[in-house]
Amino acid sequence: MSSDQDHLKETDTEARFEFKKEEKAAFETEKGLTEETVRVISEDKDEPEWMLERRLRALEQFQEMPMPEGWPGAPDLSEVDIDHIVPYIRPDIETRGGADSWEDLPEEIQDTFDKLGIPEAEKNALSGVGAQYESEIVYQNMQERWEEKGVIFCDMDKAVQEHEDLVKEHFMTKCVPPSDNKFAALHGAVWSGGSFVYVPEDTTVEMPVQAYFRMNSEGMGQFEHTLIIAEDNSEVHYIEGCSAPKYSAFNLHSGGVEVFVGEDAHVQYSTVQNWSKNTYNLNTKRAIVEADGTMEWVSGSMGSKATMLYPATILKGPGATDNHITIAFAGEGQDIDTGAKVYHNAPDTKSTIESKSISKDGGRTNYRGLVHISDGAEDSSTSVECDALMFDNESTSDTMPYMEIQESKVDVAHEATVGKIGDEDVFYLQSRGLDDDDAKQMIVAGFIEPITEELPIEYAVELNRLIELEMEGSLG
Amino acid sequence: MSTQVHANLTASQVEQISEDLGEPEWLLETRKEALAALDDLDMPDVIRTPGRTWTNLDALDYESLVDPLDYAQDKDRVDAEGVEVLSWSEALDEHEDLVKEHFGTVVDTQRDYLTALSTALFSAGTVVYVPEGVDAEDVKIRTTMNSQSLFNYTLVVAEESSSVTILERQQTGEETDGDRYYSGVVEAVAGENAYVQYGALQNLSEKTYNFSAKRGHADTYATVNWIEGNIGSRLTKSSVETRLLGDSSESQILGAFFGHEDQHFDIASRVWHEAEHTVADLVTRGVLDDEARSVYEGVQDVGREAWDTSSYQRENTLMLSDESEADASPKLIINNHDTEASHSATVGQVDAEDMFYMTSRGVNPEAAKNMLVEGFFVPVLEEVQVDELREDLDQLIYERLRE
Repeated sequence: MSSDQDHLKETDTEARFEFKKEEKAAFETEKGLTEETVRVISEDKDEPEWMLERRLRALEQFQEMPMPEGWPGAPDLSEVDIDHIVPYIRPDIETRGGADSWEDLPEEIQDTFDKLGIPEAEKNALSGVGAQYESEIVYQNMQERWEEKGVIFCDMDKAVQEHEDLVKEHFMTKCVPPSDNKFAALHGAVWSGGSFVYVPEDTTVEMPVQAYFRMNSEGMGQFEHTLIIAEDNSEVHYIEGCSAPKYSAFNLHSGGVEVFVGEDAHVQYSTVQNWSKNTYNLNTKRAIVEADGTMEWVSGSMGSKATMLYPATILKGPGATDNHITIAFAGEGQDIDTGAKVYHNAPDTKSTIESKSISKDGGRTNYRGLVHISDGAEDSSTSVECDALMFDNESTSDTMPYMEIQESKVDVAHEATVGKIGDEDVFYLQSRGLDDDDAKQMIVAGFIEPITEELPIEYAVELNRLIELEMEGSLG
Repeated sequence: MSTQVHANLTASQVEQISEDLGEPEWLLETRKEALAALDDLDMPDVIRTPGRTWTNLDALDYESLVDPLDYAQDKDRVDAEGVEVLSWSEALDEHEDLVKEHFGTVVDTQRDYLTALSTALFSAGTVVYVPEGVDAEDVKIRTTMNSQSLFNYTLVVAEESSSVTILERQQTGEETDGDRYYSGVVEAVAGENAYVQYGALQNLSEKTYNFSAKRGHADTYATVNWIEGNIGSRLTKSSVETRLLGDSSESQILGAFFGHEDQHFDIASRVWHEAEHTVADLVTRGVLDDEARSVYEGVQDVGREAWDTSSYQRENTLMLSDESEADASPKLIINNHDTEASHSATVGQVDAEDMFYMTSRGVNPEAAKNMLVEGFFVPVLEEVQVDELREDLDQLIYERLRE
């Protein structure tokens, strides 16, 4: 085991995520959550009164709501005690709202993102980049040509100040209200940072924009909010990456994502989640899609101790489409409970959900999903496919889909399979000269290929490297 | 906590039932314990999704449905050579040890509120005893409920290397005023290398609330197969379950339902793989018309030590009306990787191309639809090995289509 760990430390990817930085904060709230904490955060951000009011109302709802525990097979959240979390840490930076040059950042923050490879990716493949360190965006930049077309890509806190009307209308109102679940309410009370993306009508942002979220401090909670508004006939691809070094105390990530997809618009939201294995990842993500619009969720969940994430899409307009592609990999001590929710509320709407999960060394994956077709959503169709791969009899692979069909003129199909790596496949590859580990890695890479091929090449490579790392952890 | 039924339910009523059946002390005690437990027991689990409860059992008014001491029924038992098909009094007279050994070992007598209620109040039922090595033909049990409520309890014990096929029918006889309640618990114990096929066809009146819990234990090389047909009742809450406890044991659970008007069927098929080389196949097909609603849950649970498991599940629902609703949740819980498991579920309407084909051949649309619906049930019907059950089910489907 120890030699495995030494080997791991030498590999690039491991080093890129696992380094720690000395905690240096300009402002940090007390642990725990009180009305005072919320007021302090709002004041530190110099927010308008309506935002403070929304935060306080969300806080009330958080205190009233039960933990999501009554579900069959719900992950163990007993350790998640909000009184032991530092909800807000403002890193020591001069520019509020994010610097637009990496050089302007303090050296240790600059170094963090260098190691994560963000500036490099910005040069090569992205239209814009936002980088969040602890509770605040520290870097935000977008190519000028998009700015000229009226595209907005900025820090969420800055958006509250500079695009107040848009934010006031869309922020946790019709998409993800704080009343949705306990952690959405918590998020509503203490949110900080995140991105605001606005794409005007008839505009296609050709290269993806990316935000990267890094938690560095022990025992902190990160609550970034992402709001994407894609006007009619526009197109944008947003990528989110996240990581944190591992500490002994637990960390909490409870992000909120709201996406508004206009008529004929197309939004893709891709996530590669690699939180450290002491992080509870409890997110609420939702999109509302107007007529003939398309929403695509691509999620890779590799990290965290426990994840509960079910990106939801409301197909509001006729002809709207939703595609979910999700991959979960649970190793030792991990419980990845993830899936999708789709509401078909208009005729001619379509959805597809493709889920792949891998569990090994005692890890648990669960696909938990809901497809709801409302009365009147005629000529709608949905197809759900879940495949799971298991490595041993210490691991668990669950599948819990729910279908609510209130309309007869529909086409609804759900399929799931669970199995182990085929001995014959391994034998075939071995007979071609691969050793056992390489053969298994190759089979896993093939298993998740339908997902990696949806990602830009840099991320597909990243995902494959993370999986290789996970595989080596026990097979090597 | 649960609905209170206590206002008209007392220990002395339970004693009365027990005395009528000439029961031994231990059974009366079991009944009384179940009665006492009612206060702390919840309704059977129902599926909940954000903002919705798939079956609302709390809305049932048991007070008005249950009359513990009125249990009029007609029972018609057809036995087969070598197998004993007994009423409870007979069974307790002749095989008390056997009953005591198995009663309540498969279905927990206090599993939930409705099961405990059944334990406390059952007055009708049958014990089927298949001695070692007996290869029995069809056993038939027809129950006609004449009272307002009826609590039925069936125990099947199939000893080593025996085999039996049981066909149970439930229907309502004389009309009564108001709503009715039928509760049926079935326990099946299949010994080593035994084979039990249990087919049930429920055609209760549409004023009847129906609770049904069927569960079997399969020992090494044993097979427990279920057929569950639901046509009648106002609301049915049914679970059909097998625990595969012995190596190389098998189970097939076949289900068929046809709901119309405002019928509500909440149907579950569940199997637990708890030994090596076990096989399960869960197949359910249902049709919904008018405002009928179906809720389906399928569970395939594979344990840590269940090496070399094969487990399959299919559920298909056909919706004939826009006002109907089909909810489904087929679940996989897999704890051993040496498993081949799959499930699939579909919901849709009668295929437009099939309809077009039929009508283009001169079949009128109504007749074409009926033929396609009857055809939809064929994959389940052809698996039913009990001729009488298959023919009856076919006939009930035929009649419902032409009402």
